[in-house]
Amino acid sequence: MRKIFVQAANQISIQQPLCNDWVEHPIVYSEPFCRSIDPDFKPYVSPVEGRRMGKILKRALAVSLQTLRDCQLEKPEAVITGTGLGSVESTEAFLLDMCQNGEQLLKPTHFMQSTHNTIGSLVAIQTQCHGYNATYSHKQISFESALYDAWLQLKAGEIGNALVGGHDGTTPNYFRLLELADYVGNGMQGTCGEAAMAALLRTEDQTFANSPLCELVSVKLLHRPTREQWQTVIASMQLPEDLVVFSGENGHPANDALYAELLPAILPGKATIPYKRWFGECFSASALGFYAAAEYIHLGKENNALLLTLDRAGDAALVLLKR
Amino acid sequence: MQKNRIVITGAGVISAIGVGKEENLRSLQSCAEGVAPVRYLQTEHTECMVGEVKLTNEEMMDRLGIPGTTPVVRTSLLGMMALKEALQEAGLGQEDLSQMAFINGTTVGGMDKSEQFYLDFLKEPVEPNAPVAYIKSHDCGSSTDMIADYFGRFGMTTSLSTACSSAANAIILGARMIASGEYERVVVGGAECLSKFHLNGFNTLMILDREPCRPMDATRAGLNLGEGAAYLVMESEASAQERGAKVLGVLSGYGNACDAFHQTASSPDGIGAYLAMQQALEKANLQPLDIDYINCHGTGTPNNDPSELKAMHRLFGNILPPFSSTKGFTGHTTSASGSIEAVFCLLALQNQFLPVNLHFVSPICDEENVSAVNVPVTATTQHLQQPVHRVLCNAFGFGGNDSSILLEL
Repeated sequence: MRKIFVQAANQISIQQPLCNDWVEHPIVYSEPFCRSIDPDFKPYVSPVEGRRMGKILKRALAVSLQTLRDCQLEKPEAVITGTGLGSVESTEAFLLDMCQNGEQLLKPTHFMQSTHNTIGSLVAIQTQCHGYNATYSHKQISFESALYDAWLQLKAGEIGNALVGGHDGTTPNYFRLLELADYVGNGMQGTCGEAAMAALLRTEDQTFANSPLCELVSVKLLHRPTREQWQTVIASMQLPEDLVVFSGENGHPANDALYAELLPAILPGKATIPYKRWFGECFSASALGFYAAAEYIHLGKENNALLLTLDRAGDAALVLLKR
Repeated sequence: MQKNRIVITGAGVISAIGVGKEENLRSLQSCAEGVAPVRYLQTEHTECMVGEVKLTNEEMMDRLGIPGTTPVVRTSLLGMMALKEALQEAGLGQEDLSQMAFINGTTVGGMDKSEQFYLDFLKEPVEPNAPVAYIKSHDCGSSTDMIADYFGRFGMTTSLSTACSSAANAIILGARMIASGEYERVVVGGAECLSKFHLNGFNTLMILDREPCRPMDATRAGLNLGEGAAYLVMESEASAQERGAKVLGVLSGYGNACDAFHQTASSPDGIGAYLAMQQALEKANLQPLDIDYINCHGTGTPNNDPSELKAMHRLFGNILPPFSSTKGFTGHTTSASGSIEAVFCLLALQNQFLPVNLHFVSPICDEENVSAVNVPVTATTQHLQQPVHRVLCNAFGFGGNDSSILLEL
């Protein structure tokens, strides 16, 4: 089977954007909810175009284009995107207008940008990429679902590279809804953030000037697995001894309990790095966890990393990265 | 000769023209359209023609044996109705699910309830009786899991959300999972209910026709929205043989390409549509002449249909295989359309007939190519009962997310 590499990756989050300052100097937050730190978008989007785009679109475009530039690649062979909510800002604007003012004088822009696949399509339009294009929206494992699709196609040799992204925004109103649903807040010892992350994956058949960040070994998606199924999956992955788990604790008791219960049972004795302490929680937080793990391996801080994502509704994902 | 074929062993559908395959088949064959003035959706746009499933949520819950107090969204109810039929036909029960993946396409998700309670949720303090459970069911993935969990424990679930091609892309992912050996059996398709949100969205784009839609017709003036769900149980041929499952059809090709032109409009040359169909043929190792029928995306908007025809002519030449859009029957069922129409194609294969294109009067002219023949299947132009062995089924979405699948008998 072909080897697959993570060639480059970039993020915009509640840490300094488009760089890895967070590794040495993470910004520490005590607020329950923070918006991302935006970079200067001028190198990626013209001001005229930018005015018509919601924040999530500008961020997605910036991380995508920067990642392609890092690879000196004009366009990828495929664009595969994960997003839990799509452009929640646009969805909210249209919804609020409709609920408050009725159905007669609504404007199309917010609706056009509210569709989940707006993000992936924009990247395709900007890069003139007619290749495979898909968007996954499956809560906390939206990004891993996109990764899974890319991994299948790369392994099979159907494509040689793919730009895989994970993007979600959080608005004050949506944060309030998440609090009501007890997903975040309510005494949570952590922050709710936003995510924009794009990574270029490639097979070993393609060569690039720079060395890759790490190897992507496997991606597994699970739904309400029993303990027995967990054991089977872990065994099938042939995990290296020297392994650190990038785990999704976010400071919320109900969420963290999932990890506290599972980790000692299926991955006893493995060190964990709860990456959300840097990036906060949102539906695409695991995309940042993936990026952080890749970056850690690239910097030589770890040799092998397993990204573990658990959703309170029962979805789960495992991603194995290797030097 | 062909190894690792992907076969279909179960199918289920619910749409404006019926609950289950039997009713849908009867409606297709008797030209009984399901598009009608709004009856169930709570909207100011009562003038709109829509393809509603003629059941209330309560009626569906009753049929599914779900207690009336359970917070459940309409997208999921439609999905459960269709999935139940598909699993039953494939002869698969609760004990089989852990070895199967459930791949669902949806975009509306739980928006029907979000739009109903949104202002209550935002009130400070929150409305005491506001059903907070509907916040959790808002997103696409939750609708998917609600459907999955009604049946038991699937090995994995995920959701595609590429607007109107979501279900087609779910079929494609499922096919890849079987081809790679990740899963022997998958259930794929999509579900979508009507919502005030997207009805109004399409309305602001000025692409809704107040009359019954006229896909592929020169006088077409927009689409009618519809709702529904459909799923296919797909498995490796070896798996079907091993358990003695009856094969309904074969998925022999698929293609996905991006038009990369505009967020909501199709390109004039239909490059995305062309590439998607071309890839499907290539994957199946077939020539254009091998295709007996195309189920078009054919929404009836001024923009989509000529773009799709252009793409078809580029691939097939001036004379096209028999083609039709079935959206005159069901309305445009958006995220579910890819799988609903795939089930229609399966019905066409099994019953050897061509579904007609309702409300067609005069063809769309192509000024650059006057010899292009653009007449779809109608009750008067075609002998409807005829051999059908290989069909293409198109589903195109906003953002130029164009997909096509190829089904064979």
